[in-house]
Amino acid sequence: MYFYKIDVGETDQSIPLPNVNEKVLRKVLEWCEHHVNDPQPTNDDDDSRRRNTEIDDWDQRFLNVEQDMLFEIILAANYLDIKPLLDIGCKTVANMIKGKSPEEIRSTFNIVNDFTPEEEEQIRKENEWAEDR
Amino acid sequence: MSSEKLLPGRATKQNPLPSSSTSHAKAATIPSELILQIFKYVTSTADLKSCILVCKSWCRCGVELLWHKPVFTNNASLIKLLITLSRNTQTFQYSLLIRRLNFSFMGEDISDQILARLSSCERLERLTLGGCRRLTDVGLLKLLEKSDGLVALDVSDIENLTDSVVELVGERCRRLQGLNVSMCKKISDKGIMVVASKCRSLRRIKLSNCDNITDESVIVLAKNCPHLLELDLTNCNQITNKAIKPVFENCTQLRELRLACCAHLTDESFTRTTPSLFEQLRVLDLTSCTLITDQTLFKIVHSAPKLRNLVLAKCGNITDEGVYHITRLGKHLHYLHLGHCYRITDHSITHLARHCTRLRYLDLACCNQLTDASVFELSNLPKLRRIGLVKCALITDQAIFALIENRVVAHTLERVHLSYCVNLTINAVLDLINFCYRLTHLSLTGVHAFLRPDVQRFCRPPPKEFTAHQRQVFCVFSGKGVKDLRAYLNNAFIGQQRGRITGGVGNAEDQVVQQPITTGADIEDSVISEAEGVGGDISESGEGDNDTGRDRGSSRHRSRTMNPDGDEVDVGI
Repeated sequence: MYFYKIDVGETDQSIPLPNVNEKVLRKVLEWCEHHVNDPQPTNDDDDSRRRNTEIDDWDQRFLNVEQDMLFEIILAANYLDIKPLLDIGCKTVANMIKGKSPEEIRSTFNIVNDFTPEEEEQIRKENEWAEDR
Repeated sequence: MSSEKLLPGRATKQNPLPSSSTSHAKAATIPSELILQIFKYVTSTADLKSCILVCKSWCRCGVELLWHKPVFTNNASLIKLLITLSRNTQTFQYSLLIRRLNFSFMGEDISDQILARLSSCERLERLTLGGCRRLTDVGLLKLLEKSDGLVALDVSDIENLTDSVVELVGERCRRLQGLNVSMCKKISDKGIMVVASKCRSLRRIKLSNCDNITDESVIVLAKNCPHLLELDLTNCNQITNKAIKPVFENCTQLRELRLACCAHLTDESFTRTTPSLFEQLRVLDLTSCTLITDQTLFKIVHSAPKLRNLVLAKCGNITDEGVYHITRLGKHLHYLHLGHCYRITDHSITHLARHCTRLRYLDLACCNQLTDASVFELSNLPKLRRIGLVKCALITDQAIFALIENRVVAHTLERVHLSYCVNLTINAVLDLINFCYRLTHLSLTGVHAFLRPDVQRFCRPPPKEFTAHQRQVFCVFSGKGVKDLRAYLNNAFIGQQRGRITGGVGNAEDQVVQQPITTGADIEDSVISEAEGVGGDISESGEGDNDTGRDRGSSRHRSRTMNPDGDEVDVGI
């Protein structure tokens, strides 16, 4: 489906992809080849896809990569407009967030806390209503 | 956005594309548009809250999402949110981030004071207050004072509400698309006329049980709101042909039209016969429109050939001819209610079963001319999930055996209503419940063979308002009750097969099964593979093939106003 869109071998035209390096592109092509026969997603599915955070086994294994690579794939999928791949990439990251405290999230993704303690405390208070169910 | 202003952190000026040379994508450097995309899959409110506490850029991305449609698990969390909104210094202007509020699950907890404290939410788009019965005009007027961007409002079942709220909405919220004032008994033409004349993009309006509503406002609705998709006038018993004619003339995009209990309507309401003019119409409810005849069905099927749900319960003038017209809907028809259309015979039902092969839900309660011949034909319907045969008293065990023999409905049948089919025996019904492993509801009220304490102990408790006699004959099994009944009857059966008299079954046993059942293997298969029962209540509305599925909150009202198939209602007769 998306494969031939970026398969430069089939036509004489070459499409420059300056923003995607070879390693990532190979990975993306691997995904496209595996999913070449998937039905075209319809717009109706948009909402249900969003609600569903499940990822099929093959995709899960496919995205079981170094974090840097995972984000590279997400960026490439976004750049190349491969929506289903972008979706599962984002879902994978969202699943890594599930159940974690802010501090745990920071260390998982190597993010620096740039709040002052006062700012953080105020935002914590203001959003206290959003508790676990 | 307010967020940029209020939290002047580092601007999000990351390179939106990975650079080919360095290729070090990290969570901290990916563009905020993608962070937002990720957050859309963070479905729990608590997780999203953790996200916004990670760093400033995540905070800016997540805060709108978190506040867009706040979900409250209890009253305490709502109070905490109100406290935030009343703080003098806020990191973000939170009240402007709130776009949707749904309090229908908190019902009585919601007061006018709470609404007043939310009045700073000027950008509300959807407000769902169905069943918040303590509310009055005071709270709503305060809340709606500034929210002129409202797109959908559900105030159903708020008894105190008057026209002044509806008038205000009509005056201010010109973009309104959905209005649900079902059960708001005080609402009248005065309010609805304002909405109808000012909100031209109205798409859905529910006025069920607003019995002050007359033709006047419905005519204005029909003439001013050509985009109407859904119109619910259930129990608006002042409505006449004069109102419905313009609806059919102007609102050609209608998907759902509910006119149940508009008893004044006659064939004259439905004059349009242009083929396929109402191509979009999927749901039509004419319950208790007792004056309509086969003529109406002829015209309707002609101009709305893709009807999916058709409810004609208690339209006593309908004959076989009308049902023949209905069969022209063919595979489009999924749901048909013909309860109390007592003139119908096996002829038209046979025709129906052969043409409308995608029927999922069929109710034929009190069609007392029907015989086993109808059931023989219906047993070929490959998608039949629910069949209602209450008071089809001519039906015998042979009908049940036919259902089983065909093996078509085994995998689909979930709800079977056989109350007052007095000829049925335990033998046949046991076969049925062994065979239909998805069965979650079985009603056998008034069937003598089942009116025994050892069997009735598995049935659910009769409704409180029932008389002693009604309780005596009540016999409805649902969910676990069906399973238990199946297990019990099978045990009794096996006990008898071995010629053993088991104490627990007692003298009831010889009635249980008279002859060995030939489908022994099936019994075991279906017992093992039994699907989990899905809860208990008889819900008459849609059972999953609800055409819209969009408006969950309103099904509450629908089931209250729909006519049940007679299982409980007719018990005393």
